[in-house]
Amino acid sequence: MSFYIATVVVIFGIDVLAAWALNLQYGLAGIPNFAFIVFQAAGAYTAAILTLGPMTASSAQTYIGGAHVPFVVGLIASMAGGAALAAVVGAFAMKRMRADYQAAILLILALILNQFVTTDTSLFNGTSGLANITRPLGSLINPNSTGWQWAYAGLVWALCAVVLFVVQRLSRSSWGRALRAQRDHDAAAAALGCNVVALKLQVFVIGGAIAGLSGGLLVFYLQAWNTGTWGYEETLAIFVSILIGGVANNWGVIVGTFLVQIVFVEVPNLLPQFGYIGLVDALEWIVIGLLWMIAIAFRPQGVIPERRVRAARLGAGAPIRAVPGEPPSRAASRPVGSAQQVPLGAAGPVSGSSEQ
Amino acid sequence: MIAVQTPQGARPLVEVEDLVVTYGGVRAVDGVTLSVAAGEVLGIVGPNGAGKSTLLAAIGGQMRPERGHVRLDGADITRLPPHRRARRGVVRTFQDTSEFGRLTVFENLLVAGLGEQGASLVAATLGARAQGRRTAVAVARATELISRFELDHLRDAYAMELSGGQRRLVEVMRCLMREPRLLLLDEPTVGVAPHLSEQLRHEYRRIAASGVAVLMIEHVLEVVEAVCDRVIVMENGAVIAEGSFDEVMQSKAVQDAYLG
Repeated sequence: MSFYIATVVVIFGIDVLAAWALNLQYGLAGIPNFAFIVFQAAGAYTAAILTLGPMTASSAQTYIGGAHVPFVVGLIASMAGGAALAAVVGAFAMKRMRADYQAAILLILALILNQFVTTDTSLFNGTSGLANITRPLGSLINPNSTGWQWAYAGLVWALCAVVLFVVQRLSRSSWGRALRAQRDHDAAAAALGCNVVALKLQVFVIGGAIAGLSGGLLVFYLQAWNTGTWGYEETLAIFVSILIGGVANNWGVIVGTFLVQIVFVEVPNLLPQFGYIGLVDALEWIVIGLLWMIAIAFRPQGVIPERRVRAARLGAGAPIRAVPGEPPSRAASRPVGSAQQVPLGAAGPVSGSSEQ
Repeated sequence: MIAVQTPQGARPLVEVEDLVVTYGGVRAVDGVTLSVAAGEVLGIVGPNGAGKSTLLAAIGGQMRPERGHVRLDGADITRLPPHRRARRGVVRTFQDTSEFGRLTVFENLLVAGLGEQGASLVAATLGARAQGRRTAVAVARATELISRFELDHLRDAYAMELSGGQRRLVEVMRCLMREPRLLLLDEPTVGVAPHLSEQLRHEYRRIAASGVAVLMIEHVLEVVEAVCDRVIVMENGAVIAEGSFDEVMQSKAVQDAYLG
């Protein structure tokens, strides 16, 4: 049981990493990256071939390049792989265009790349994919033991902590604010000096790097890289995690990932099979699709919505002009629902009005 | 067709020369030439579909002209993308309000105040100290502006939660957060409560007095009369009259265009 729980903890951590990466791109920047899984796969492939060793004539599988690098280098390379592919794709897909076209382009790209990798056996070994990828830290702990499982879970969550720190810093920075601004109105952001294309390309590459890292961690854990694992529908599951958890809220994304990837994807595996073979799997995707629709219809902001950044947190003092009937300290935290009903100009100068 | 020139002696800050903008097979702007001096407010009036907003978009960089030039202080900016024009001091509002809906009013102003520096990944992550100083300046300016426009009680409201008039104010305040050299305003008083509309008029005059060239599309003739030094009238993409408010209103071409 402990072995199984450790497995779930590892997969959960990797899924959270992936969701944070997509949340940067979609939640913060509004980029509908329906090709997300491709960047995770690219990171995983990079990590795999760099640890499988050089391909020889007697190798049972074909892949590009091949080397024996330490685990840590492999992980860094997985980030570079995801980022590099994101830079190439982003150079085209992040140009100024409507979000629906962008979504279509990225989804089609995911389908084409999956088809290409699956069909072309000379480069990527086709549907067989890659196997026999060595688990790291094998010299320290038996890689098939429960202890190794927990050690790897610890490593994954330690990296999660680092990535959370980075994504939170980025999200709260003026750069993150500019990204949210262009998400809401790109023409206005550009007219205020923001280079919208550069902003989107940057967040696309950073998201690609984190996606690559999550792919690297996954491939070292599974010891295999198989095209069947990288279907576009996997991207949809990550999207639903974000929509349910909270768009542009990294804490909400943890909740959403738990609900979708663990409760709705993982737990059904424990249920007894019923109906024809494959029915449970099919139902799983139906439930995910329903969750998406329910989230958009009833709670588009997610379980934990995007956090409101109050002026006081940005270093602003109390408002110069207080709201009638309220002490200045409360004026700053006045609920917005009621603020809407306050007619313009009703807030006449009560105190501290320095100029008109 | 009339080539609009600044009054004699005034140095033109903005020069638009033979500008043609075509889309969907229609010449929305058809050979417009005009200039605006620093400190001058030029009003643009004309019926719907006259090409006023398209002209503003071509000057602001949102649309690329097929022909012609836009010069700012002698430098050709015709091919520059909007964000690079903004860095040179071209700032604008939009016909449909362009607030950042899921940013608070205060944040809307900060984005404008920090502009290109705020959007720089390097400045935001590596230059924390310098960015902190810039942010402090922007925060102080935003606080002062929000107070001047009586929106203190809404500073932490999401812009999407505001009324149409309030959104318009946020847009104008964003422009004031920057130090514009050329301010492009597309119907800037629509939906704004009367007393604040009055305040906005003073604000535009004040901005112009500080040496900013202002180009303003406005349908409310009372506002045009109060704010604009000169007025041009557009119809079918071309300028059909130019002069002071009174001159333009008495022009036969204008009366024909409006009254048929």
